Amino acid sequence: MAVAERPEVAMQLNLRPVISFHGVSKVYPTGTVALRDVELAVLQGDFCFLVGASGAGKSTLVRLLIREEVASTGRIFVDGQEITRMARRRLPKLRRKFGIVFQDYKLLSKRTVAQNVAFALQVTRPGQRHLREKVEEVLWIVGLEDKVDKYPDELSGGEQQRVAIARALVHRPRIFVADEPTGNLDPDTSWGIVQLLLQINHRGTTVLMATHNREVVDLVRRRVIAIEGGRVIRDEAQGSYLRPGEATL
Amino acid sequence: MRRILAALWFSIKSAGQNFRRNLGVSLAGVFTMGLILFLVGGALLFTHSVNSILQAQQANASKIKIYLSDSASLASIADFQTRLQHDPRVISVSFESKDQAAKEASQDPDIQQALSTLGSNPLPASLNLDIKQLTDLARFDQMAKSTPIADKTTATDYNPDVINKLHTVINIIEVVGGVIALILFVISLVIIMNTIRTAVYARRTEIEIMKLVGATDWFVRWPFILEGIIGGVLAAVFSGGVVFAGYHVFVQAAQRSLLSLPFDGSYTVTLLILLVVGGVCVGALGSYMGVRRFLSV
Repeated sequence: MAVAERPEVAMQLNLRPVISFHGVSKVYPTGTVALRDVELAVLQGDFCFLVGASGAGKSTLVRLLIREEVASTGRIFVDGQEITRMARRRLPKLRRKFGIVFQDYKLLSKRTVAQNVAFALQVTRPGQRHLREKVEEVLWIVGLEDKVDKYPDELSGGEQQRVAIARALVHRPRIFVADEPTGNLDPDTSWGIVQLLLQINHRGTTVLMATHNREVVDLVRRRVIAIEGGRVIRDEAQGSYLRPGEATL
Repeated sequence: MRRILAALWFSIKSAGQNFRRNLGVSLAGVFTMGLILFLVGGALLFTHSVNSILQAQQANASKIKIYLSDSASLASIADFQTRLQHDPRVISVSFESKDQAAKEASQDPDIQQALSTLGSNPLPASLNLDIKQLTDLARFDQMAKSTPIADKTTATDYNPDVINKLHTVINIIEVVGGVIALILFVISLVIIMNTIRTAVYARRTEIEIMKLVGATDWFVRWPFILEGIIGGVLAAVFSGGVVFAGYHVFVQAAQRSLLSLPFDGSYTVTLLILLVVGGVCVGALGSYMGVRRFLSV
């Protein structure tokens, strides 16, 4: 049983959830109901997989979390702050708590690896001292210290995702969100990326990874939150992609 | 302070970088903006030129001769002249005697022949008025007709047809000029907004990343606005040069065809400043509105 599911244990350990959803629903203007009455709590330092079929609501959950979308009903807290009614001008500060990567790496093709990573600091903390050292440090963490001056086109898919991870890490986020980070990668490369995320988690960063990748989820055996039809149908401390006896998700 | 300077430097640097990296789109934007500024500048200069030609015509036209009766005494003529000189609508009044009128008319050989055949001088003396407003001519015509010292048969040389026509032409040109300027303004705004939107669209990933890592809206906007300003200034300089050269050629051609059109240097300078200010405003405003759509991440 995860600590998050035992509020009394969490209280005793003086742990407050870094992310919590309370009765959150999301209905898009088209009428599509993407999330229904979601209750969720993630503690600082957790590693969670968010699993579910395409269209189950994983991406909507991620988008609500980083306030790309606003919840229709319910409340979402990040680091103790309610974000559902947060003013637009305060969003930049909220987003700096997150490190975010997507399936399509979203790298700038005309900038080198180092410039792509530095970009995140330049646009959020202009005049940052020791920029080069900070960039080199995260590139070393993701294992790309020898690709500093390469352009994204010269890298493999896995390497490009590592650059995206380095860019998300460089401002030392509290929460790392990965939306299908291995979606475009072969199994070996995917495994490398997940290892990297586990390593980031090991350094104390909360990691939330939305994924389709059954092998990875089953191998890692960490917390699994399963979503189906917009509802959380399962939340297990050391879960697997499917519940025993479940044919598909 | 250090952060503000760094932010400013980053904005300027990325505006320059973006301009160079997307040279094709940037130049297309500058070219479109330049073309429209050229049209606006050209239209303004053309209207200004036509106006100055017409004003010269109007200055010529706002003259009226009050023919004096041969029986009018010199004292009453002098009296009438003084009264006219004190009228605020009048620029100047001059007296033309019968002899002067004959001398003036003799410049035409036909009239000279007619005068010498007659043996006497039938031409009346006149008071020649220069009037400020073209529209006041009719009133002076009326005034002359009710004056006993004016010639009974032909009181003045006032010709309402010519005056009315000139007046209509001036009105039409002003209205047409206004309409053309308005249409150009609307077209330019639409084209510029779309061009800039295309330029911004080419960099939507960059904007998306900036928003996702937590850059503020203004931090995202500034490089684009600066880039719009750079483009606006370049477009203004380019179109200003072309308009200036075109105006020079136009004035020379007009002078060859004997139109009284002087080269108006001070207006040209005003126009160049106006184009630069316009380019900067349109570039900045267009970028601001172009980026706005992509900021809603």
